[in-house]
Amino acid sequence: MIDLVRLTDVNKVYQGGITGALNGVSISVEKGEFAAIMGPSGSGKSTMLNLIAGLDRPTSGTITVGGTDLAKLSEGGLARFRRDTIGFVFQFFYLLSNLTALENVLIPAQLKGGDAKAHARDLLDKLGIKEVADKYPARLSGGQQQRVAIARALINNPMLLLADEPTGALDTHSGDQVMELLGGLHRDGQTILLVTHDAKLATRNAARVLSVVDGRIVDDARLESPERAASEVIRVRSEETSR
Amino acid sequence: MSLKYGVLGLLKGEPLHGYEVKNRFEAMLGGTWEVNIGQIYTTLQRLERDGLVKPVGQRGDRRKLQYELSDAGQKALDQWLAQPDSGPQQLHEDIYVKLLLATRIANGDLQPMLARQKRTYLQRLRDLNRLEERARHDGRIDLARLVRGALLHTEADLKWMDELSSERFGAEEAE
Ligand SMILES: Nc1ncnc2c1ncn2[C@@H]1O[C@H](COP(=O)(O)OP(=O)(O)OP(=O)(O)O)[C@@H](O)[C@H]1O
Ligand SMILES: [Mg+2]
Repeated sequence: MIDLVRLTDVNKVYQGGITGALNGVSISVEKGEFAAIMGPSGSGKSTMLNLIAGLDRPTSGTITVGGTDLAKLSEGGLARFRRDTIGFVFQFFYLLSNLTALENVLIPAQLKGGDAKAHARDLLDKLGIKEVADKYPARLSGGQQQRVAIARALINNPMLLLADEPTGALDTHSGDQVMELLGGLHRDGQTILLVTHDAKLATRNAARVLSVVDGRIVDDARLESPERAASEVIRVRSEETSR
Repeated sequence: MSLKYGVLGLLKGEPLHGYEVKNRFEAMLGGTWEVNIGQIYTTLQRLERDGLVKPVGQRGDRRKLQYELSDAGQKALDQWLAQPDSGPQQLHEDIYVKLLLATRIANGDLQPMLARQKRTYLQRLRDLNRLEERARHDGRIDLARLVRGALLHTEADLKWMDELSSERFGAEEAE
C-alpha cells in the first residue's frame, strides 16, 4: 500500500519564531484513511496541514503527497498541485461574498478550465443543499456555508481532503451534520485529514488520532472498530448498599 | 437506589413476576445494566417487607408470584422522581490513585501513564460513537441519549488527562 502523504523529519520555524512550530515531524497517511489531528492551541496543527497542502514550505524535511516531493515543485507547480490534488476546508468557510454558492463551488474548476456546472450541482445535491445554489453566502446559515465550502473543496476530485476545524464555528447540530458528511465521503473512499478540538466528533469517523504537542507528534493512536455489546461499553452504575 | 425505584416504576404499569421485572428492566436500560434474578427477588422481598409492593394472588411458586405497587409504593416512587439526583460526584478514582502512587514510586515521568489512559478514552469514545449510531439506527432514542451522556463524560475524562499532562502533573514532587 502506497502512502498518500509522507512527512519525513519536517521542521518549520516561522520568521521571528523563537521555537519551531513543527519539530521533527514524521508521519505517513495511507490512501483511504481518515485521520484526526488533535492538540492544544498553538501546537502546530494548522501549520502541518498548510505544509501538506503546499500553502507554505517547511524549513527542513521532506513532504511527499501522492508520490510528488513538494520541494521539487516551482511556485506555479505548487499552485497546480493545490488546485488538482488538494481540497481544503477551513473553520471560517472563506466563501467569496459577491458570488453565489454555485459560483463559489465553481472557482477551483474554472482555474483548471472546463465546464463543471453539472458536477457542482451534483455535489450541492449530495451535500443536501441544492436549494441554496443561487443564494449568496450572507443568506446562508453557518452549516450551509460550510457545506458549500466542502463542495468547493471537492469540485476537482482531490486526492486528499484537508479540514482545519471545519466544525469549530458551528453549533452542535450543524457540526454533527458536517461530520456526518465527511464520514460519508470517507466511506466513498476519500482520504481525509481532519484537525479538530472535538474528540467526540473526531472518533466518530477517524480510526486514527495523531496527538501534537509543541510541534511534535506525541501519540499516534490506531483505534479499533469492533461491534461491541452495549454492556461492554456502558455500565450504568448501581450502588447495592440499600437495605 | 435506582434498582429499587426501577422495579417500583415498572410495577406501576401492571403487576409483574420476577422474571418479567428482570427482562423489562434490562430492556429499558438497553443492556447497559444486567441484573441477576436473585437481585430482583431480593429487591421484591425488601419492597414487600417495607410495604411498598404486595403480592397478587396465592403465595406458592415464587417464579409465578406477581407483585403490584401499594399506595405507599406509589408515594415513594413519586417522591423519588421529584428529587434531583444529588449526592457526591462519582469519579474514576482509579486513574487518579494510580497517578498519585506513580508519582511517589516512579519519581516523575507520568506521561506514558497519561498517554495510555488517553488512548483508552479515545477508544471508548469510538466505541460509544458506534453504539450511539446503532441505537439510533434501531430507533432506541432513549439508549442513544444515555450513550450521549457517556460520550460527554468520557470527553471530560480525556480533557482531564490533557490538563494533567500539560501541567506536568507529578513534576512538583519529583523536583
Ligand atoms: N504565519 C505565522 N507566522 C509566525 N508564527 C506563526 C504563523 N502561523 C503560526 N505561527 C505560530 O506557530 C505555532 C503553531 O501555530 P499553528 O497555527 O500551527 O497552531 P494550531 O495547532 O493550529 O493552533 P490552533 O488550535 O489555535 O489553531 C504557534 O506558536 C503560532 O503562533
Ligand atoms: Mg489552527
